[in-house]
Amino acid sequence: MRSASKSVWTILGIALFVALPFMVSSYGVLLTTEIFIMAIFAMSLGYLMGYAGLVSLGHAAFFGIGAYTIALAGDHIANTYVLILLAVVFSGLIAWISGSLFIRTSAFYFLMITLAFGQLLYALVWQLKPITGGADGKKVSAVMDFGFGPIVDPNMMYVVTGILFLLSYLFLRKLASSPAGKVIKGVMENENRMKSLGYNIRTYKLLAYTLSGMLAGLAGALYAYYNVFVSPDLIIWLFSGQVLIMVIVGGVGTLIGPAVGAGFFLILQNYMSSYTERWPMIMGIIFITFVLLRKGGIVNLLALLGKKRSGGEADSLDREQKEAVR
Amino acid sequence: MLFFLIAVGLSIILGVMNIVNLSHGTFFMLGGYISFSLLNGKVSFWLAIVVSVIAMAIFGVIVERFLLKNSYGKELEQVLLTFGLAFMLADGVKWIWGTDLHMLPTPALLDTSIPMGNVAFPVYRLFVVLVGAVIAIFLWYMETRTRIGSMIRAGVDDREMVSALGIKVNLLFSGVFAFGAGLAGLSGVLGGPIIGMYPGMDSDILVTSLIVVVIGGLGSWKGSFVSAILVGLIETLGKVWFPALSMVIIFLLMIAVLMIKPSGLFGRRNVI
Repeated sequence: MRSASKSVWTILGIALFVALPFMVSSYGVLLTTEIFIMAIFAMSLGYLMGYAGLVSLGHAAFFGIGAYTIALAGDHIANTYVLILLAVVFSGLIAWISGSLFIRTSAFYFLMITLAFGQLLYALVWQLKPITGGADGKKVSAVMDFGFGPIVDPNMMYVVTGILFLLSYLFLRKLASSPAGKVIKGVMENENRMKSLGYNIRTYKLLAYTLSGMLAGLAGALYAYYNVFVSPDLIIWLFSGQVLIMVIVGGVGTLIGPAVGAGFFLILQNYMSSYTERWPMIMGIIFITFVLLRKGGIVNLLALLGKKRSGGEADSLDREQKEAVR
Repeated sequence: MLFFLIAVGLSIILGVMNIVNLSHGTFFMLGGYISFSLLNGKVSFWLAIVVSVIAMAIFGVIVERFLLKNSYGKELEQVLLTFGLAFMLADGVKWIWGTDLHMLPTPALLDTSIPMGNVAFPVYRLFVVLVGAVIAIFLWYMETRTRIGSMIRAGVDDREMVSALGIKVNLLFSGVFAFGAGLAGLSGVLGGPIIGMYPGMDSDILVTSLIVVVIGGLGSWKGSFVSAILVGLIETLGKVWFPALSMVIIFLLMIAVLMIKPSGLFGRRNVI
């Protein structure tokens, strides 16, 4: 029964994914593309928070590294595969190096030190104007091309980011259920027990941090292609904070929650900013309400509702896409 | 010294009460803007200081009562709540005061400089240093020599026990939070003539003061005192020698301190 409904949902999801560009305006397609990218980013932080127990306030650093890699190396290298790989590897490398310094600190210091690290990178990008363009940002000259011709059409971009979003989701799901992922979760739940079982907890935390950084780098790389422009705003800690909002509003402790949160955040932002300039205020109120309610994010609320109604839970991947259409 | 004033407010809230307050920079900014409006209404600088500090303290009480009361011991929740607050307030400030850079005028009484050798040292900065020193002495006195100080220290260590002794811990903690918020407001006003006010300053201030607190160690305003002087010196020297890298140097200092002493220079213990 459950697997049957699951495959129905999957088919529905695919149908929706294919049909969406025909159903919404070209602006809607652009927005959905952005949601896919931010969803990858939010999932990377959501994994770190919900499955490894590490709350970072500087995750935009890796997003920014990914984006700037495309922007800077894109002037010299044209191959998209190489560029994206470079972005992912480079952000992973920085995550690994910085993580090996940060992870030994306690939760609070970790939060502060990631925040400071993000601001450090922000200041660097700001000040290395000759290379990075400083506060003015930099145009991205590389064009996405997977060997089937350049991807400039928004619909093509939509398909590419959608597929990469799905792959990222599947990757995280695989990771969470893999032996290493289970150890990471175990470390989050009871560090001392895992330690006495003989696991090197630092290694596993570092693994989670590095993988999460790589995924954030991928999101950043896609964003650079999507936006054709990068600026220090991609690194600033407020952006890290926004992603944190997405994760919390969507639901920590699930994989799809942060993605739903990203969709919710962006749709609300777009919808509200056409009526009022004060959307950060409204978003802040919604966010604080979610935290104060202590019922978890949207996904958890929906799951509660679903349980009340039918006792079963639906695959929420489709829900995110339905949300995107609305 | 300005760093000290900001950081000590944060350190009190953070270290003494174990509340992670990400809206501290916003309190600072609000203090500055409120006195800016007051000064525009032809209120004297001194009255503006008093009003801003009181306003921020009251605001602090409201925040503590309605937002943070139930989040003691849950750092993640505090981070999220205060971040949400900072997010909202930053937007509110833009709404009310616009996005232009404002400078507070230096009060006329202090708008001179003392010649020291061949450089002139502005009296106003000396005044800020003096205020910082007075507050440091006051804190030292409060913490070690008064009943309230020992009640607060006890309240942090064992909240339930202290309230069982008949001390109103809730009231006490609201008071401490208000005091920290008031200090942020005070430094906002005092910083007005030196660094001015602009949107986004809240995060600049917050990041710097968090670094100061982390280097100094949680729960120790003495640590904040030392590390604020250290960070201030390094930033000033760094700006002279490597203008592009002053931030990097401070950050490296922080990493170095945390590698050697994971709880900061004067950290009481690993509180959080």
